[in-house]
Amino acid sequence: MATLTVTDKDRFLINQEGQDFSHEAKTFIKIRELALKNLKGLDFPSNKLEDWKYTNLKELGKLEFRPQSAANIHADKINEFKIKNLDAYFLVFVNGFFEPSFSDVIEDKESDFLVTNLNTAKKEFIKLVEPHLGTQTRAKDQFFVNVNSAFSQDGAFIYVKSKAKLDKPVQIIHLVDGDLVAAYPRNLIVVEKFAQAKVVLTYDTIETHSALCNSINEVVVEEGALVQLDKIQNENTNTYHISADFAHQAKDSTFTINTLPANGKVIRNNLNILLNGSNSTANLFGAICLNGNIHVDNQTFVDHAKPHCESNELYKTVVNDQATAIFNGKIYVNKIAQKTNAFQSNANILLSEEAKANAKPQLEIYADDVKCSHGCTIGQFDDEALFYLRARGIKESTAQKVLLDAFIGEVLDHISNEAVRAYANQLIAKNFKSQFAALKN
Amino acid sequence: MLKIKGLKAEIEGKEILKGLNLEVNPGEVHAIMGPNGSGKSTLASVLAGREEYEVTAGSVHFEGKDLLELAPEERAGEGVFLAFQYPVEIPGVSNINFIKTAVNEVREYRGLPNLETKEFMTLLKEKQQLVELSGKLANRSVNEGFSGGEKKRNEIFQMAMLDPKLGVLDETDSGLDIDALRIVSHGVNELKSKDNAFVVVTHYQRLLDYIVPDYVHVLLDGKIVKTGSKELALELEEKGYDWIIKELEEEKL
Ligand SMILES: Nc1ncnc2c1ncn2[C@@H]1O[C@H](COP(=O)(O)OP(=O)(O)OP(=O)(O)O)[C@@H](O)[C@H]1O
Ligand SMILES: [Mg+2]
Repeated sequence: MATLTVTDKDRFLINQEGQDFSHEAKTFIKIRELALKNLKGLDFPSNKLEDWKYTNLKELGKLEFRPQSAANIHADKINEFKIKNLDAYFLVFVNGFFEPSFSDVIEDKESDFLVTNLNTAKKEFIKLVEPHLGTQTRAKDQFFVNVNSAFSQDGAFIYVKSKAKLDKPVQIIHLVDGDLVAAYPRNLIVVEKFAQAKVVLTYDTIETHSALCNSINEVVVEEGALVQLDKIQNENTNTYHISADFAHQAKDSTFTINTLPANGKVIRNNLNILLNGSNSTANLFGAICLNGNIHVDNQTFVDHAKPHCESNELYKTVVNDQATAIFNGKIYVNKIAQKTNAFQSNANILLSEEAKANAKPQLEIYADDVKCSHGCTIGQFDDEALFYLRARGIKESTAQKVLLDAFIGEVLDHISNEAVRAYANQLIAKNFKSQFAALKN
Repeated sequence: MLKIKGLKAEIEGKEILKGLNLEVNPGEVHAIMGPNGSGKSTLASVLAGREEYEVTAGSVHFEGKDLLELAPEERAGEGVFLAFQYPVEIPGVSNINFIKTAVNEVREYRGLPNLETKEFMTLLKEKQQLVELSGKLANRSVNEGFSGGEKKRNEIFQMAMLDPKLGVLDETDSGLDIDALRIVSHGVNELKSKDNAFVVVTHYQRLLDYIVPDYVHVLLDGKIVKTGSKELALELEEKGYDWIIKELEEEKL
C-alpha cells in the first residue's frame, strides 16, 4: 500500500495559499497561474542542486511560514528605518503589504514620474505595468522566483517617463514584523528612454523570531536610461532573505546595482542582468561585511547578448566570527556579442579562524573578439600594511579599521548618495564594532 | 636612551641576531654598516616590534622602559621611529589621512590633545617643505605608485611629523640620487637635536658625508664586531668586510 507523504515543498506551498487575488486583472492572474504551474515541476531547493550547493535551506523547509498582515505600527517606529539625512520619496511596506499612510505617493497622471505601489498601478496604470511585469521572471527552474510570482502581496511601482529625471531618490522600505511571516515584496521599476532614476532598497525587521522575506526587483532600463539601485539588507538574525533582481537593458543604457547584505540569518541574492542592446553598461558592486553566524550567498549572472557592451563587477567581502560568504559570478557572452568588455573581481578577507568564503567565477564566452577578466582572492589583511600603520603609532584596532575602510571603500565609493553611503558605513562599523573593541583591550 | 644587551633574535627558527650590544645616548648619531644578510634590518624590525621575530635572549631598554614588552604602536608613542628599508604601499588609504591618524594617535599616547585642522595643516606644510615632498602626494594612497625617492622622502616626512626621540633609518639612502640624498640628509639634520638620536643603517659612506656619525659599527653575522669613528666607514667602503673577518679569526686563535 502506498503511503502518502507530505513533502517540505507541499507543506510550504499549502501554507502560502489562502490569499485572494481574484480582483486582479486577468493578465496578472496569468502570471500567478504560470508560476504555480512551474512550481508543480520543481523541488524545494536542496544542496543537491548545483545552484544551492553551498546554501542549506533544510531548516527553512521545516518552518511554517505564512503570509500575514502586520499589526498597527506607530509612525515613530517607521521613521527609524528612513535613512538619516536622505532627501527622498519614501514607500513603506510591511510583510509585503503597502502602508500608504507612511508613504509619499505620486500618482498624478500628468507627472513625469510615478511613485506608488504595484497593486494600485495594476489597476490605475495597467498599460504601463502589463508590458513589463513578469517578463523577466519566467524562468521555470527558479523555485523562489516562482513562489514570489505566485504569491506576491504587493511592492513598489516606479515609473519615469522618457527623458525625465526622478528628482529625488526613492527609498523603498520593506519591514518584517511578526513570527513565521512570509513576505513577498515585488518591485517594478520602469525607466524609459533617456530617463534617470535612483532607488534605494532597504530591508529591515521590526520584530520577529522567524521570518522569510522572498523579494523580487524587476528593472526595465530603456534606451539611454540611467538607473542606480542601492540594496541594503539589514534584517535581524532570525530572517531568511531570498531575493532575485532582474535588469533588462536596452542600448546605450547604464544600470548600476550596489548590494550590501549586512544582517540576517541566511541571505541569498540572485542578480540577473541582460545587456540586450549595444553600447550598454552594467555595474555590479557588492560590499559584504559579515559577523556572527550569518550566511550570505551572492549569485550574479550577466548576459552579454549584444555587441559593444561593458560589465564591471566588483564584490568585496570581509568575514568575521562564524559567518560565511559565497560568491558565484557568471558571465555569458553570446556569439554575436563582439567587443564585449567584461570584468569581474571578488576579493575576500577572513578575519577569524571560523569565517568562511567560497568564490566561483564562471565565464562562458562564445564571441571571439572580447575582453574578459576575472579574479578571486581569499586572504587576510596585509600584515605588512598592518605593521606599517602600527609602527607609526596607530593602534591595532584603528589600523584594522583603516584597512577595512580602504578595502570596502573601493565599493562604497560607487554609492553616489552621501546619506546612503554614510548609512552603509555605519552598518559596517556596527558589524565590526565588537571586533575592533576586542582588539583594543 | 637606548640600551641593547646580548640581544638574540630568530625568525622561523633561524637565529639572525646572535648577542648584539649597542648603547645610544641623546644627541648621538650611530651608523651601522655590514654585509647583506648580516641582520641590520632584523635589528631595526626587532626595535620597531615586528611580531614575526622572536627574541630569545637579551634585553632592550628605551629610556629605562623594557621596549620588548611594548606593542609596535606603543613604541612609536614612546618615540621610536623606523624608516623602512622597503616602505609599504597601502592602496585605498590616503597619505594625508594616514599621517593625520598617526599624529593624533601618537599625541593621544603622549597625553596631548588632537591637533586642530589648522595646526595640522601648518605642520604638514612645514614638514612637506622640509623634505621637498610634493603636496600632490598627500591625496594619493600611502606609497602607492611613489617613486623610490618619493617613498624614502615620505619616510623622513613621517618621521618629521611624529617627532621621535630615536630615529632608526634603514638604508634610507639606497636608490637615491645625489639631490634626493641631500634633501633626505638635510631633513634629518634639521630634526637632529641634543635630545634625540639616530641610528643610520647604510652601505655607503657617501650618506655619512651628510649625516655625520659619532660612531660607526660593523654588524657581522648578528653581532656588532667593531666600533669606530666616522673614518671606519671610509675604510669599509674601500676594503670591504673581509679584513674584519680576518681580524676576528686571528683574535680567536
Ligand atoms: N622572513 C624571513 N624568513 C627567513 N629568513 C629571513 C626572513 N627575513 C630575513 N631573513 C634572513 O635573515 C637574515 C638577515 O636579514 P636582514 O634583512 O636583517 O639583513 P640585512 O643586514 O638588513 O641585509 P641587507 O643589507 O641586504 O638589507 C638574512 O639571511 C635573511 O635571509
Ligand atoms: Mg636590510
